[in-house]
Amino acid sequence: MKKKIGTGVMALAIIAIIAVLWNFFKPSEKVDFSADIKPILNKNCITCHGGVKKNAGFSLLFKEEALANTESGKPAIIPGDASGSELIRRIKEDDPELRMPYEKPKLSDKEIDLLTRWIDQGAEWGRHWAYSLPEKVTVPAITAEAGYATSSNPNFIQNGIDHFIHARLKSEALQPNPPAPPNVIARRLALDLTGLPPTHQLFDNFSSGNLNYEEMVDTLLSLPAYGEKWASWWLDLARYADTKGYEKDGGRTMWQYRDWVIKALNKDMPYDRFTVEQLAGDLLPDPSVDQLIATAFHRNTMNNDEGGTEDEEFRVATVIDRVNTTYSVWQSTTMECVQCHSHPYDPFKHEDYYRSMAFFNNSRDEDTPSEDPNIRFYTPDQQKKVDQVTQWVSKYGSERLGQEYKDFLSFMEPKYQAHNCEDFTNGELADTKYLALWDNGSCRLNNVYTQGAGFMYMHYWSNVDGTKMTIRKNDKDGEILSEFIINKTDGSIIRKIPFKKVDEPINLHFETNNDGIPPQTSTSFITWFAFLEDIPARAQEGHGSVSSTFLSLLNTPTPELPIMVENHSYMARATQIFERGNWLLKADTVQPGTPEVLHNWEENWPKNRWGLSQWIVSKRNPLTARTLVNRVWHQLFGRGIVASVEDMGTQSDPPSHPELLDWLALRLMNEHNWSLKALIKDIVMSGTYRQSSQNSPELYQKDPENELYARGPRLRLSAEQIRDQALAVSGILSNKMYGPGVMPPQPEGVWQSVYNDSKWVESKGEDKNRRAVYTYLKRTSPYPSFITFDAGSREVCSIRRTVTNTPLQALVTLNDPVYLEAAYNFAKTMQAETEVGKAIAQGYERATFSKITPSKLEVLMELYKVSLSDFGNKEGTGENFLGIAEKTGANLAALTVVANAIMNLDEFLSKS
Amino acid sequence: MKDSLERLIEEKLRRELEAKTRRHFIKQCATGMGGLALGSFFLGCDPPEKGKAIKKTGFSERDLNPLATLAPPFIPKVKNVIYLHMAGAPSQLEMFDYKPELQKLHDQACPQSLLEGKKFAFIRGVPKLLGPQATFKRRGESGNWVSNFLPHFKKVVDEVAFLKAVHTDQFNHGPAQLFMHTGSPRLGRPSIGSWVTYGLGSENQNLPGFVVLTSGGKTPDAGKSVWGSGFLPSVYQGVQCRSKGDPVLYLEDPEGVSRDLKRSTIEAINKINKEEYAKYADPEILARINQYEMAYRMQIAVPHVMDINSEPEHIKAMYGVEPGKESFANNCLLARKLVEDGVRFVQLFDWGWDSHGTDHSTAVDLGLRNKCTEIDRPMTALLLDLKQRGLLEETLVVWGGEFGRTPMQENREGKKMGFKGRDHHGDAFTMWMAGGGIKKGASHGQTDAIGFSGVEGQVSVHDVHATILHLLGFDHEQFTFQFQGRPFRLTDVEGEVIREILS
Repeated sequence: MKKKIGTGVMALAIIAIIAVLWNFFKPSEKVDFSADIKPILNKNCITCHGGVKKNAGFSLLFKEEALANTESGKPAIIPGDASGSELIRRIKEDDPELRMPYEKPKLSDKEIDLLTRWIDQGAEWGRHWAYSLPEKVTVPAITAEAGYATSSNPNFIQNGIDHFIHARLKSEALQPNPPAPPNVIARRLALDLTGLPPTHQLFDNFSSGNLNYEEMVDTLLSLPAYGEKWASWWLDLARYADTKGYEKDGGRTMWQYRDWVIKALNKDMPYDRFTVEQLAGDLLPDPSVDQLIATAFHRNTMNNDEGGTEDEEFRVATVIDRVNTTYSVWQSTTMECVQCHSHPYDPFKHEDYYRSMAFFNNSRDEDTPSEDPNIRFYTPDQQKKVDQVTQWVSKYGSERLGQEYKDFLSFMEPKYQAHNCEDFTNGELADTKYLALWDNGSCRLNNVYTQGAGFMYMHYWSNVDGTKMTIRKNDKDGEILSEFIINKTDGSIIRKIPFKKVDEPINLHFETNNDGIPPQTSTSFITWFAFLEDIPARAQEGHGSVSSTFLSLLNTPTPELPIMVENHSYMARATQIFERGNWLLKADTVQPGTPEVLHNWEENWPKNRWGLSQWIVSKRNPLTARTLVNRVWHQLFGRGIVASVEDMGTQSDPPSHPELLDWLALRLMNEHNWSLKALIKDIVMSGTYRQSSQNSPELYQKDPENELYARGPRLRLSAEQIRDQALAVSGILSNKMYGPGVMPPQPEGVWQSVYNDSKWVESKGEDKNRRAVYTYLKRTSPYPSFITFDAGSREVCSIRRTVTNTPLQALVTLNDPVYLEAAYNFAKTMQAETEVGKAIAQGYERATFSKITPSKLEVLMELYKVSLSDFGNKEGTGENFLGIAEKTGANLAALTVVANAIMNLDEFLSKS
Repeated sequence: MKDSLERLIEEKLRRELEAKTRRHFIKQCATGMGGLALGSFFLGCDPPEKGKAIKKTGFSERDLNPLATLAPPFIPKVKNVIYLHMAGAPSQLEMFDYKPELQKLHDQACPQSLLEGKKFAFIRGVPKLLGPQATFKRRGESGNWVSNFLPHFKKVVDEVAFLKAVHTDQFNHGPAQLFMHTGSPRLGRPSIGSWVTYGLGSENQNLPGFVVLTSGGKTPDAGKSVWGSGFLPSVYQGVQCRSKGDPVLYLEDPEGVSRDLKRSTIEAINKINKEEYAKYADPEILARINQYEMAYRMQIAVPHVMDINSEPEHIKAMYGVEPGKESFANNCLLARKLVEDGVRFVQLFDWGWDSHGTDHSTAVDLGLRNKCTEIDRPMTALLLDLKQRGLLEETLVVWGGEFGRTPMQENREGKKMGFKGRDHHGDAFTMWMAGGGIKKGASHGQTDAIGFSGVEGQVSVHDVHATILHLLGFDHEQFTFQFQGRPFRLTDVEGEVIREILS
């Protein structure tokens, strides 16, 4: 026994000695590149020695650059030899002229020590956390002593999320808040899930215990209002608007895409499918109409119709926007920088940008005023005819030809836009858009492949009769391929013209002759040409009728929506790197590809948008699921787990809870199969979300941004929520869904358009009071009260709305007729209770879902009395009060003032 | 006849009296609201440090009031900016850039060498040169050229510094206007006025910090984005003040609601919000209390400053104002009033300068002359009026368009046109600046004999921006905003201060 003790003591002593010695001689701890070194380099060095500038020929962006010879002929970093490395010598230098960082304070001893040890350890380059994803994350266990949490909130731990939050709170010696009271959490939850306060029936069921919290969550997630609420978030990312943007900012029909988003969210389309359909719905096998509508995601780009602008320049701008938006939306990556130079901070190379751009550079759209290609929506009757034609062609021709006819009827592609004509003599590109030749005019359209078609279809209009147009092969001496007369038309038409069969790519040489018109008169204005093999089985009975049906369908106007359609291989554009981002300075040609630093491309993915969408939704992609988790979290808590919700990379903020982010991301993919509703449910079911949002000066000081989550979220409502809530509590909100954008009242003179006479025509009836998501959005003049409450103009993808707090917001909710009408209707509902005190108390409760305190009631009673005497003292009160047509008595007027005050309370404008 | 000084003194006294009454009213309102001295809530006895977080509570004066005045990082030359933009792009060749050689070459074919590699909006083929349609004289002590289209401007020619060789790479209105006002031809970037208000706040807490006035209330081609806040918080976007309807949207109290009742309403809202703050301790609530007070003050202050009728007759005559109209002259006078009351950035848009020669109104010898007459008196008056009040020394006035116009006559669709016009041209055009820190009577940059290209002292749009920011006390390279994971600045990655026009 003694011996044993002796051994024990001995062992302890040895351990103690080893510990002392260890401390003394400890080999330097391994320095972590991502955690320790990269932040120092990014903060102090990369501005001059990085992607944009490489002073002295030295860059710290990529390993091979950092270890390469600098202008001095020697490398600045010699792995394993810090004392021999110029970098270390220069940061230790005493002479300020030589010391780095130049003209900045010397690095701290700790930083110098880290860099020294890192180089001595071999200057290993690490991979940033954002670019790899662990396979599994262990949920932190709650130990027995965690009982400490129960003192403030015994029910805090509700699901896995709370384990992670709890671990961090514990390490910061903080306790979670108690749960929010049922009335508060019910309102918070309903606003977060549906954008509206709970209905009174739902609220009563919850308050009385008929529904438990989880059932309340499920109910709210199943309401159509859920899709309308979350659509606003997605439409900001998708830069959805009802106009084209730029100078003319003419209207466009995009609302079917908005409705697609609402429906997809409501049926909880898995996020991987949601992604693939929007990025590449047109490349799916035999895409449905809905899948084609989904591709309008990338047709939300702006379109420039201004006269004198070159369509190709703006087509390129559009492609660039699609690259930037795709990476911003799905990868939390800012690709803009890489457009002009290698990324200053992240490991993306200049050519990565153009490799990504090559995916998007082969869609048919070319910034034309018509926004071709558009999907055409046929009536059931028209659709029958469409089917007749395609069935005929498939039956007597081939499946392939049937498909070509089907596509052409569906979205009229492939076609050659006439704005690509060049080498004009006696003619011009009218308004830089339309091919317009005069008498004795000519021009050329390069690289056309007719696939041996026997017919050309031409879209044009003409104001004069008797023009002969001749189309020759390649040049003015070439063989005549087609010759025909153009007469005056009644508006634009699509005409079928016989064309000599040619089975090779050629240039088309156009000539026009008409000596019966004054000089410099345009013989016609041509938009496009298309080439189609003839409808087969000429001899068969019914051929004539099918042919004429086809042509008449083409000439029948239908509702349309811009969609993505890919170029056939014979129309493919090569993608070249733009030097310094200038689209006119083209350098090497590149093939489609994704940044090397991210996960690998799989061999079986085609190198097109569909392949790209597969790469994005691959479970090996480290950024897609994390990005979604982070942004949904941001929607609910007003802050991301990575606070810079735009960016996850070396410049982003470190995650407040890295393992939670990964755990949720893995769970979303592996357990929830990309269900957005399941992700949202996970978060709102957590004890973290359900806490009270009460703050205290101490807590505020310790955690002003609430990144530790010792309290629930308390945030001002969004522009849409503020409007929808006001209409909902006053009982005038319409629940009509879908359809073209509506125009609720706005002040006169706000909408002014150059060169077009589009007008804000105030919607009538229930359309006046639709949910905000249906409001017509004109990019150069968005709905004023939304802008005031920080909604965007949706010109480009917007990931975060900066929340402001301004006097102009007060003016909106105090004076905007929309809010006055809501207050008036709200007051009317309050009037049902005859005793004023009760009426006000009930009104307050209906608006805020809280019982009024005596002091608040006193304030509002006082306001009522002041209003009443103010109105009572004046002649003719109630006439045209607030501009409302109905005659209001002094009592209703005074209640309206009180209602207006309630609807301006911070607690009404915020979720607590 | 009284001299102008005496009249100024008289005007000053009268205005002081008015201001006193107004202040009294505003003060009464503030105390009426229970004297919500926010300072006592937070600031304690610490002297408030501008822009810096107040240690005690962790949030700054700026969190409570995003328009609180901030000092720039360097000593500024000016506090305010008035930017006069002639949308459509005025012809420098009929106003300031005198080219006698072009007169000699009138009606000759444009040399092919000038056309190679160039893109024009409407010119096609080989156009002909068009001699200046105005006559020029050297004016003032500086001897700078001014055309006979601008008879008044000669009085102030020694106040301004010309930039004769500004260039832009945009030749369509929308993108070029965006470029001129946001530093990028694409949408989504903040305008100069937003940057400046973001960086300096406002000097007057009863008025917006950045005000936009447009002739005829018309929006420029590029839309409201030219005064948008881009990725900056929306509180810094330009507030378009209108002279029809409410000067600011929703400024007017609804029908039947008196000022007193509005005061009681805001008082009630703020009392309840204070109770809410006591419960939740959320500083956003305090900011909201502050904003409701400011909204109330704005309701009084904005209509007052936007009312030109209160100005004395001789001042109205000096500008040539036309009461009731949204004219450029009215807007010039308003610009002075706004700057006088501490508005940081005032932007004026005039339109109708797109002199293509498609009709009478766009002919460089007819319509353009009328446009010059419209602006000549008011812009001259603006400089003189600012000067006589000592405001010119602390204000920067910038004049220009989004690009210039060609020395060639426009031949739209390759045809000869009925009127004399010039196409869009970004290679070289004229802008001028006046005010604090500007070298009076300077002229920087020169164009070639026909005014096609800059040959000396060429400056870019970014250089103009760098100079404006410099005068306000910023280093344009350091003045950045973090967005989408990278720092953005007004001048992108370019721009140099134009030292040649600084005093």
